[in-house]
Amino acid sequence: MTTTSPGASGAVAPAVEIAGVTKTFGGLTAVSDIHIEVARQSIYGILGPNGAGKTTVLNMISGFIAPDSGSISVFGDEVTRMPPHRIARHGVARTYQNIRLFGGMTVLETVVAGAYMRRSSTIGGALLLSPGERRERKRVRERAQALLEQVGVRSAHDELAETLSYGDQRRVEIARALATEPQVLLLDEPTAGMNDAESKEIGELLLQLQASGLTLILIEHNMRLVEEFCESVSVMNSGVMLAQGTPSWCLEQDDVKEAYFGKSSDAARIATLRRARRGSSGS
Amino acid sequence: MSTTAWIITLQFAGVNALFALGVYASLWTGVLSLAPIFFGAVGAFTFGYLAATLGLPPFLGLVLGIVIGALLGVVTAGIVIRLSSHYLAMATIAMVLIGRVLILNLPEYTGGAAGTLIPGDLGTWPWLIGVLVIAGFVMSRLAGSRFGFAADAVREDPAVAQTLGVSPRHIQLVGFILSGAFSGAAGVMQASFLQYIGPDTFYTHLGFVTLAAVVLGGAFHWAGPIVGAVVFTVLPELLRDVMGDYDRVVTGVLLVLIIIYMPRGLVDLRRFRLLRRRSRGSEPSGVSASRESANQEVLS
Repeated sequence: MTTTSPGASGAVAPAVEIAGVTKTFGGLTAVSDIHIEVARQSIYGILGPNGAGKTTVLNMISGFIAPDSGSISVFGDEVTRMPPHRIARHGVARTYQNIRLFGGMTVLETVVAGAYMRRSSTIGGALLLSPGERRERKRVRERAQALLEQVGVRSAHDELAETLSYGDQRRVEIARALATEPQVLLLDEPTAGMNDAESKEIGELLLQLQASGLTLILIEHNMRLVEEFCESVSVMNSGVMLAQGTPSWCLEQDDVKEAYFGKSSDAARIATLRRARRGSSGS
Repeated sequence: MSTTAWIITLQFAGVNALFALGVYASLWTGVLSLAPIFFGAVGAFTFGYLAATLGLPPFLGLVLGIVIGALLGVVTAGIVIRLSSHYLAMATIAMVLIGRVLILNLPEYTGGAAGTLIPGDLGTWPWLIGVLVIAGFVMSRLAGSRFGFAADAVREDPAVAQTLGVSPRHIQLVGFILSGAFSGAAGVMQASFLQYIGPDTFYTHLGFVTLAAVVLGGAFHWAGPIVGAVVFTVLPELLRDVMGDYDRVVTGVLLVLIIIYMPRGLVDLRRFRLLRRRSRGSEPSGVSASRESANQEVLS
């Protein structure tokens, strides 16, 4: 796996580089001419209100959707229009906004399934009872248990993954992604449905993963988490980039505020409407 | 039923189990395919032709069936794997129909409408049990293997499987090869038991019985198709003694009931796991205790 690939200027290529990417669905422009550069071993946030095109960006990095134009590279290698399983082999793993666990699998099996790329045994080895294959099964199970501990899954490992609490299901998804031993981890709303304490735990896990060499890109609505853990962010709205930079600077920008809270004139109008309604109801 | 009738019924149950495993091998990778019937037909008729012209020894005949089935699996996968789910299923149903047309129109090899005679050397219990044990061994070894987890992942969510580095096409190709090998063996065994095969031996009826066996037995564990095939072959025979011609009504109703109340079939690991969870109780002490034991496992 490439860890360094010399660019044209001899500089180290960024972990992920999105250059002028546009994607339209029919008449709707989901993502319009987006440029994002994610430095190696950083925690990068993608922010924006619902429908801003954040998940579309993640889907294009992981290869679910091919961009109409522009290019995406991972560690300097162009991955635009590659099938997702080949992009995964470039070290990209991800989790999903609407949790996508495998039905019928236990917690442990789910993570073992994630280790596919890190196993080398063959069907022949499995059929001929080769000792190497048996050792590999044991190794993969132990690694899966260690990963589940690392991400803080509280449930028993032989439970059906789909019966776990919302927070634990998200953690199992992260463990499954980590089992691929990725270099870039894409997290789509990792703390959705978690309370403050749990979100904090996820934040600390992110730092731990960063320290171990991973580059993390997350879509997140929890601003406290973003301000505390992300070094830089992109804020999108309706497929357009509004601001890029440090989280606190971005959130100060007028068009960012407007995207999240509406125009200040609208806010005044809503206040007037509320007063009027309260007056008419007679209380 | 008399003892002879029981023996014959159970032999057919065994052969149907092999065909059902052929259907299951594809279904495991998320592909609904009736191609096993076609693979079985080609295996059986090739075996019959070569046995008649060259005097093929029985063991070679069986190996031949397996190899022909596996090769056809590769060719079929190459042609149909690009199709999406229901179009792919329809293409494999078309293969079953085409198979019959081929049999009717190649009389110099297949005997045409009159069919052909097959030597019965392989049509004995030791051969059947031997083949079934090997098939069961193969499936049980594969279930926990690298391929097995990838197949489960592709069946449950091919898109997520791809982000784990799994190529669904590759896994489905292997599924087709396994499917072909099982069905090729099943075709040769079926022919050897019947000692006569014709254009209707490997046709839609066998296809639907096999599919029903997989659905009834459980399409999520390799033991499911075997259980399903035995139940679905033996039950109609038992019912026929009591109910005469109404046995099909009962088996039909049973199939519908199982689809409604046990949609994942008789052998369903997921249901067993849910039941175990319920019986274990949901008191928090149990959960933390099991977590501690998991901790110890990791540490040790």
